[in-house]
Amino acid sequence: MIDILSYTCIGLGIIFWFWGTFPLIGKRSVLFKLHSLSVADTLGSMSIIFGLLLKIPSEWSLLVLALISLAIWNTVLGYVLAYCSSGGEDER
Amino acid sequence: MNDSYVYIIIALLPLSALMLMVQVNPYHALVIRGILGAVAALVYAVLGAADVALTEALVGTMLAITLSAVAVRSSLVMRLGILEDGLPNVEDESKTEREQDCPFAHLIADLRASANKHHLRLELVPYADPQSLQRALIEKEVHVTCVQRSPHQESESEDVQPYQTTTRVRRLYEILQTELSSPTTRLTYMTAPSGEKH
Amino acid sequence: MNWILIAMVLALLIPIYEVWKDENIWQKMLAFASIASKTSVMILVVSVLRDDWMIGVVGVIILSVGNAGLMLLAHVIKRMNTL
Repeated sequence: MIDILSYTCIGLGIIFWFWGTFPLIGKRSVLFKLHSLSVADTLGSMSIIFGLLLKIPSEWSLLVLALISLAIWNTVLGYVLAYCSSGGEDER
Repeated sequence: MNDSYVYIIIALLPLSALMLMVQVNPYHALVIRGILGAVAALVYAVLGAADVALTEALVGTMLAITLSAVAVRSSLVMRLGILEDGLPNVEDESKTEREQDCPFAHLIADLRASANKHHLRLELVPYADPQSLQRALIEKEVHVTCVQRSPHQESESEDVQPYQTTTRVRRLYEILQTELSSPTTRLTYMTAPSGEKH
Repeated sequence: MNWILIAMVLALLIPIYEVWKDENIWQKMLAFASIASKTSVMILVVSVLRDDWMIGVVGVIILSVGNAGLMLLAHVIKRMNTL
């Protein structure tokens, strides 16, 4: 039962990854791509790590640390990239 | 160790290295160097070398990129010496109507365009008088000088070239000679130690 | 669990293709951010797959420290564009 749940989480995360990465190929603006990438990529990665956590609960400290740092860093990184890219284009 | 996914992951490493090799723009190459570092860390971790992967991620991705960013930024620059009275026109460059009626700003924009084609950054260095500008060129403080030619010099040739651009770098002279399209300047090459003009 | 890693490599190939094709530096930075987080999650998956605690620690460290270098690079590139 737990095994099926963890595989479901990992599969869902990979689907989220593809969903968030495919807009990267198109000719959209940087901010649109950043939005889809930061939302879907972070959710997908967190879902994958949650699936791994269900698989091996004994390594919970490591995986919870990965979850927390993923959530915080990707949010901050999204803000920094948006600030830098839009600030660079204002100057031109 | 005999899993199929190992081969697929290892194949990513020469792929990203090849992308880094064919990249000509140094700033884009910096970003691809970071990607190569991330992929290399993944490959090392998959092959079981945890310490090498950690070193690659910390040194290869952070330190190498930061150091080479500083190196690229400080070395890929063309220093252009100008006189101080020409400077205020240049800072109004963002207003396009000012750029139209000021040939000097137009010339600076042309120089910057041909420098950007070779990924060089143009840096303006103002000097107070023509003597110190000439000395700066001889003492290798600047690569290129651009001054307005004096009227008696102008009378002996045709009127269409009111500016004089001088460089002491042979390669810059070749680049500017082929690519500088501005008709308002005359380009000369001088050897720095003796100071004689060719 | 092999198919999971193969699907992840396929997802990783998309931003690599994007980097190869696109000329805008910010698009390349976006792809780099995507690749950095994807590779560290892949390292975590490999560590769980092999039940190797050491690789897992490395994956978590790369995940939490590698992003700092990315932000540094973003600020350096912004400074280059404005000058």
